[in-house]
Amino acid sequence: MSALRIAVSGLHRGENPQPGAGIIRSIRRQHPDAFIAGLTYDAMESGIYVEGGPDAIFPMPYPTNGAEAFLERLDTVLAQSPVDIFIPTLDSEVELLVHLETELRQRGLRTCLPDKAAFAQRAKNRLGALAGACQVTVPETVSVHSVAGAAWAARKLGYPLMVKGQYYDAKYAGSEMELSSAVSKLLSDWGAPAMLQRCVHGPEFNALGLGDGEGGIVGLCCIRKTIVSDKGKGLGGMTISDKRLTAICERLIGELRWRGPFEIEVMLDEARGEYALIEINPRFPAWIDFPSMIGANFPAALLEMILAGGRPAPLAECPAGHFYLRHQVEVHGHIDQLAALSTSADFHPKL
Amino acid sequence: MPTPLSEIMLNDKGFAFDPTTGESFQLSTTGLEIIRALRHAPDRDAALTKLIEEFEVDENTARRDFDQFLASIEQIGWLP
Repeated sequence: MSALRIAVSGLHRGENPQPGAGIIRSIRRQHPDAFIAGLTYDAMESGIYVEGGPDAIFPMPYPTNGAEAFLERLDTVLAQSPVDIFIPTLDSEVELLVHLETELRQRGLRTCLPDKAAFAQRAKNRLGALAGACQVTVPETVSVHSVAGAAWAARKLGYPLMVKGQYYDAKYAGSEMELSSAVSKLLSDWGAPAMLQRCVHGPEFNALGLGDGEGGIVGLCCIRKTIVSDKGKGLGGMTISDKRLTAICERLIGELRWRGPFEIEVMLDEARGEYALIEINPRFPAWIDFPSMIGANFPAALLEMILAGGRPAPLAECPAGHFYLRHQVEVHGHIDQLAALSTSADFHPKL
Repeated sequence: MPTPLSEIMLNDKGFAFDPTTGESFQLSTTGLEIIRALRHAPDRDAALTKLIEEFEVDENTARRDFDQFLASIEQIGWLP
């Protein structure tokens, strides 16, 4: 069998890590000979330069530039370095690609993406309706389109609040002044609407998994975030086994008939003693390589699912009591590499 | 959701891990013995009786320590 040829994006592993580098590491655990093309949006994505990283790098236009620019660049990439499978890792990519299944298929590129309706159903401003249908609690949330509208809504919700960007980022607001600044910044960065959400106090839990597209889950790994950075990123996590959390994930994924990778973020509302749904991400998280270390290789299962065109064998259970710590290291690059990426628009790190 | 005491992961030095919540705790020597007794005895009274016999303490002291410890583990959601 010839080696797999796979494109993976989102290679940064700095303060705000993306999933791509972890996905590549997991793929290499099972398919060491796979050819991996890294699709990048910034020459400083650290995963470009890591040992065991991608075999070739191709800068891409931001998905927000639209389908035409993205597909045009993809055609150039495929002409130079054919790949059969694409694993997108960023929310904005998935949002674009769920509308481009036909175009990707025409190019012989296989993916595993949710359908458009399921993708839209888990959007932050529709999470309440989804949660209601699944008997899951969600903190009271209001969509706002302006600073004035946010101030008005906040009087009803009360402080403190979390303010969330449409696609990404969340800021704490303890007063009207902090709220104005947060809403203004998030509207400017991510567009309208921004979301105001009642603050939940308690520990954070995440569940990563793979949906089979028929309402089932191929594998699930649940963790409690044990170390959280200033930006809310999990620098450490401990596997847990809680039937309540598993049941919540099963209800949500069953309702969505979700196909492909997901991450469900919840908090344990200590005042109410119940989980509150915070977010459903349409991709693997940055800690994706951790379950691979304890016998549940989700990226390899995803590849199996794409190649077989159906549900793969269920992944091994991730038993409670295993933990990860994010360990930062330096990677080395040379100005020639940076120059190549900044000017000629493609690059082979191993040359 | 409360975690049954039988599911708490425990080592000989009193390091305890709750697999439902992901929290870990360091138990005192007394706490460790009470948990062991509760796990093996059919009910709370039998566990207390076993502790009194094994450690040769007077009933009042034993009951006070026992009740205090039960209150603390009930607070963190462990069901004896």
